[in-house]
Amino acid sequence: MSARGTVAWLRRFFFDSPAHRFAWASLLLLITLAIAPTKDFFNEWRHYQRHYVKFLSTRQDGAVLQGHFTWGIQQIWLPELGVVDRCTTCHLAVSEKSLQGASAVPEPFRVHSPVGHNVKDWGCVVCHRGQGPATEVAEAHRATRAWEQPLLPVKFIQASCGSCHQSVLLEAPQLMRGRQLLADLNCQSCHRLPGIESPAMLGPDLTNIGTKVSHEWIYKWLKEPRTILDKDGNVTVNGYETEDEPRMPKFRLTETELRALSAYLTVQRAAPVGAYKIDPRVVAAWSKNPDLISQGELRFRQMFCSTCHSLAVVRAGETKLIGGDIGPELTKVGSKVKTDWLIAWLRDPQGYLPHTRMPRYGWSDEDLYKVTQYITTKLTDSDLLTTAQNLGQATDEEIQLGRLLFLEKGCASCHVIEGLNPQKDLGPDLSALGGKNASELEFGAAKIPHNLVSYIQAKLQDPASVNPAARMPQYNWNQADLDAITTALLSLKGAPATSALQNLVVPRKEVSFHPAGQFAEVYQRYKCYACHKFNGYGGDLAPDLSYEGSRAPRQWLVDFLKNPQTLRPTLILRMPQFNMSDKDAATLADYMSMVLQHPEVNPAQGDGNQFTPAMATLGKQLYEVKYQCRSCHTIGGSGGYVGPNLSNAGGWLTPAWIEAWLSNPQALVPDTIEPRRNFTYEEVKALTAYLMTLRQSIKPQKSASATRSPARATGAGR
Amino acid sequence: MRLRVCFSALLWMTLAGVSGCRKHAETAKSDPLLAAYDTEADWTDAQRVIPLNYEQAQGKRIFYQECVWCHADATPAGPSNRSNLTPVPPVLNDGATLDAESDEYIQNIITLGGAAMGKSAMMPPYGRMLSAEEIRSLIAFTRAIAQPPYQPPARAGSQ
Repeated sequence: MSARGTVAWLRRFFFDSPAHRFAWASLLLLITLAIAPTKDFFNEWRHYQRHYVKFLSTRQDGAVLQGHFTWGIQQIWLPELGVVDRCTTCHLAVSEKSLQGASAVPEPFRVHSPVGHNVKDWGCVVCHRGQGPATEVAEAHRATRAWEQPLLPVKFIQASCGSCHQSVLLEAPQLMRGRQLLADLNCQSCHRLPGIESPAMLGPDLTNIGTKVSHEWIYKWLKEPRTILDKDGNVTVNGYETEDEPRMPKFRLTETELRALSAYLTVQRAAPVGAYKIDPRVVAAWSKNPDLISQGELRFRQMFCSTCHSLAVVRAGETKLIGGDIGPELTKVGSKVKTDWLIAWLRDPQGYLPHTRMPRYGWSDEDLYKVTQYITTKLTDSDLLTTAQNLGQATDEEIQLGRLLFLEKGCASCHVIEGLNPQKDLGPDLSALGGKNASELEFGAAKIPHNLVSYIQAKLQDPASVNPAARMPQYNWNQADLDAITTALLSLKGAPATSALQNLVVPRKEVSFHPAGQFAEVYQRYKCYACHKFNGYGGDLAPDLSYEGSRAPRQWLVDFLKNPQTLRPTLILRMPQFNMSDKDAATLADYMSMVLQHPEVNPAQGDGNQFTPAMATLGKQLYEVKYQCRSCHTIGGSGGYVGPNLSNAGGWLTPAWIEAWLSNPQALVPDTIEPRRNFTYEEVKALTAYLMTLRQSIKPQKSASATRSPARATGAGR
Repeated sequence: MRLRVCFSALLWMTLAGVSGCRKHAETAKSDPLLAAYDTEADWTDAQRVIPLNYEQAQGKRIFYQECVWCHADATPAGPSNRSNLTPVPPVLNDGATLDAESDEYIQNIITLGGAAMGKSAMMPPYGRMLSAEEIRSLIAFTRAIAQPPYQPPARAGSQ
């Protein structure tokens, strides 16, 4: 049959009679009407629901589970959060407790592990994001043209916790770490980051930097901050790669810019330090002494400089930074600072830098001479400045350009130079970054997937990769910190949409401690808050002193301040020797005894005479046998070392504190690991009586750790 | 006759076309680390990383705060107190010892302490310090890192 013949036949067949025509039209209409129900019948979610029913039929408890199941689209609606969540249409068993941990539960029916928010009430998208109302797999999970918020990778799930919980959330350590990094690195000085505070310590004040370091050193530091090279030029310590995060990032500076900035900084010498002359008799007595340097090193160690400062040490062929990270690392400081400046600084750090966390020690000329000689002789590197020679005199053009750059590059956001005002809002507002669509972001030529997470990570690792003109300097993160800071940024979703949601936001607790009077002066001088916490304010290297006056009797405080003896022998970082005067120690002890009191512990109440020898005997027995306290505490030479040494408990602690502590340790120190036991009243009294009999005069005691066997290195521990 | 053949052919074609509209279901990503809330390196083989779910991760957090001092050979603050104690407490991943104990038993010994369960009084009770939920998460963490791996007992209803 020819083509024309076929057409003719078809026309005859379809349209010859009205009945035929009508039949065909009806059929077409029917088919058209059938499309919607057919599509619905073959919907993905029906497929999964049929699959689920089939799966249930293979289980013995299938009938019970079947009772929980209804056909059709399931929906969780949270009007206060503006959330519609249909995920449970397919994820049918997500809150079936009886399937928890059962093997061979096929996806998408896996049960959610127990979390703080009941999945049944909160749904999925509050935490996992994605498109809640969608009923198709691709639309619900991935970014589409109409909905650019895909599922949040589980790695960053704590970001969702942070969108509502602005306060400390122990359950989300990654988020906490990220927020801490944002604060410590002073990100909020360039970006709008609601809820992130500025750090306690910014970069050093540069008003007088020209009196501290040389032109060449500044140039070298700007070129490669915080790297230590060995004598062959290999990087042995890269501050960026160690665990203590570097605060000074790397700016992408050209040679001209480097020269200009270092020239500008080297002329900052508003108030030259007054040179201090060490007693010539001390110098005469020591300068020829062959033990000078080793004595200086000994003093350096004895004063526990390493509690705040680290030194690069070669151990087993590997260079490591050993020591604290409150102050700068000092491996090559002798080649960095000028000797006159060093002496003036050590004598009175706050005279050079009022906001420094370095305490003012009471130095004797002898100690000062020995330690400065040690620093300038041993902590040096003759090759430190080889890459920065022949800078010449700073020219006016260089200084002008340097000043401009200092403002433009954002240096002034972290470093103060008197008379120079930092620019506001150097970087973009990040308060709603976590809710941004990929189409709102600039990816430039970067070859990365176009989504928010990749963007944030690329920008953090190398800002120029997504925007060659970016002003943001380059930080070097380890993977864990990169992920933590990404999590914290993803948690920023802007102001809550509804007032009901605003009520859910837990605000951050503001803390402050503003002592006054004589105590304040001494407290500022010794910078107690750099390590200790007072009413929530301060560092967390050393014990919280908010209630120290209730814990320790005044005399113990005075003795301890004059001669700190560690209570916890396993600690490496210890309280430095301040060489404190009697007057300073008395001022601090008086204030602590009077003011730093716990409302429910009254030391005046505890009268040592109430205890009888019989009570103490019972207490000793309880301590040693019934409660086995010695598994964690040491008395004399034996016992564990999880808790503090109790050899001098009677001298160190007040009876009122011991009683309150034994009844409920967490009421006094919320995060203490001392277990809260169920002692009877008599047991508390007996234990207190026993502990009060323990006295030991504060004399340099034999190091308890020497008698202990080191932890066995079986390879099983981490 | 021909009419009927045409009818059915048309019907099948439409149906085939309509059902073809359905997108194929996505296969879930299988990378366990991508789906893990947190991870812990295997104590006996540092190369092996154990993925943890939320509950296990909370257990890990509490373990490293409260328990690590006596139930591991190394602690974040230096040497462990474990070797100091007699009887020596089990390392937390000691499956040979702990796998045999039921969840209820471990829950009880943490809550009530060793003495209440006829073991050493050196294990203090944590029932007034940790919530039942926190203790459950500790058990979940124990089970997750156990070597040899923990096999949950067969329970009624599962296959």
